[in-house]
Amino acid sequence: MNAIVTTVASHQILALRRRRVLGVLVGSLVGVTVLAGVLGWASHQTIIGVYDESVKLLTSRSLAAPPNPFLLKPVLSMLSNMVIYVTMIGALVALVFGHVIVAEDDTTGIGRLVFSRRLSRTQYALGKIAAAGLTLGFSMLMCALVSIAALILVNRTLPSGGDIGRLGLFFGFSWLYLMVFALVGMVTLLKSGRRSLGLLSAMGVWLVVTFAVPQFTSGLRPSQSLNPIVDPISTSQAFFKITRRARPFSIAEQFKEASARMLQTAPSEPISTTLVRVLTIAAALTLLCAIAIRLVQCHDFSRSNSGE
Amino acid sequence: MGSPAIELKGLQHCYDTDLVLQGIDLRIEHGEVFGFLGHNGAGKTTAVNILTTLITPTGGEASVCGFDVVRQRGEVTECIGYLPSEVRMYGHLTALENLEFFGRLSGLTKPKQSAKDTLKFLDASDLSDRRVGTFSSGMRQRVGIAQAIMHSPRVLFLDEPTTGLDPLGVRQLRETIVALNRERGMTVFMNTHLLGEVAKVCTTIGVLNRGELIYKDSIEATTARFPDEGSLEDIYVRMESVKGTQR
Repeated sequence: MNAIVTTVASHQILALRRRRVLGVLVGSLVGVTVLAGVLGWASHQTIIGVYDESVKLLTSRSLAAPPNPFLLKPVLSMLSNMVIYVTMIGALVALVFGHVIVAEDDTTGIGRLVFSRRLSRTQYALGKIAAAGLTLGFSMLMCALVSIAALILVNRTLPSGGDIGRLGLFFGFSWLYLMVFALVGMVTLLKSGRRSLGLLSAMGVWLVVTFAVPQFTSGLRPSQSLNPIVDPISTSQAFFKITRRARPFSIAEQFKEASARMLQTAPSEPISTTLVRVLTIAAALTLLCAIAIRLVQCHDFSRSNSGE
Repeated sequence: MGSPAIELKGLQHCYDTDLVLQGIDLRIEHGEVFGFLGHNGAGKTTAVNILTTLITPTGGEASVCGFDVVRQRGEVTECIGYLPSEVRMYGHLTALENLEFFGRLSGLTKPKQSAKDTLKFLDASDLSDRRVGTFSSGMRQRVGIAQAIMHSPRVLFLDEPTTGLDPLGVRQLRETIVALNRERGMTVFMNTHLLGEVAKVCTTIGVLNRGELIYKDSIEATTARFPDEGSLEDIYVRMESVKGTQR
């Protein structure tokens, strides 16, 4: 990496650490991972409790006991709530984080000092994106470690290499998804030029991506979530045809679907289908990176809104 | 003839439809301390923003140390130091950490040592390990000057550098400017309203009125040209009123 990009990124990480933003970010993401683990553990304990009682009852009546339900479920299913937490809480935190990374330089006038130095705006933008990537990457690493610890505690055995690989894949994919929202936070601030408006716009994007779009694409036919049989009446209608076509662009849904396959909490699908889902989010991230760099190049950092 | 420290040729700039600079021609030689005077909104800060490469002019040309501010931005930023009117830095970081960052951006090989040396030169070593967020305006200004000069620029731009400073701070700043000019040979371009300070520090002045450069000459020539006026302030008021009458 270019020395200037490294300087901007490392300085940004230091500033975030001092402002305790990094602590809040890692804390909240690790917190939701712990919550997912605790809920998974509680659910596990409840089911095992019921199962043990059933086994006792069936044994007393000399009836054959069914196998332990957890032997039929994949080990990672305990963390299935993480998918929801990443799309809702994680994305929101990433959004605010992306906003904070650019806000100080833009609205307090530090940008004026920075751009009177010998660095290009592209280097500056890449440095900021790298800082976001590294911090979110660190957060995801912490979450992965906490998840592995939770799995060990609940199952009282080390997860297999395959499970650790899937977990790594899931957190890597979550990083990709959260980076999209960190960039949304940056882009909305650079575009609006005002801190409050930038944050509100970013929230609007988060609401649309997380709630509104999924409502139009799959939420309209909730029965399909339970029963994967195509409804012959609704698909013949133009409106549903449109919503079906829009579905691949719903990145929240693509994330949920692909993550469910990675954690084995949904029926398997061809690997190419999962890959397309991952690529959709990677494409969104690439597009947002390009937009962020372009906006930094055009942005007037000589005017600050410190009075806002 | 070598290239001047700063040269503007028909420099124009407009924000939307508002023409802020109306074709300025200006030449400032190396070693000068230039005072750029003008009422609020005259276009002084816009001129500095263009010369420090923060914004691109909409017309004309501007160069610093012979380098064009648009086409040779990198070379220009190597030659200049800049102190904005209100210095803001990363408040949660110490003065040394902030300066180290700006030093790295300027390509200094030993930014920490340069930061320490500059703070020592400014008699502000006591500020190095304190967080900038806890500083008074005067302290921030000193750290701001340190970031502007730590890479030994050939031209120093100061935009209203006395904003928020107490009389002692103003005096310290004046002494620093004089020292930088005499000991390090820095050319200084200063936007200011404090005409008393201009008279004490500057070698040349320029007056900007509604985006037009209406006057430029040395301090000696200016006082000789207006023998009836008691001070630079009186001369400035007369220039502004004459220009106002012409409109």
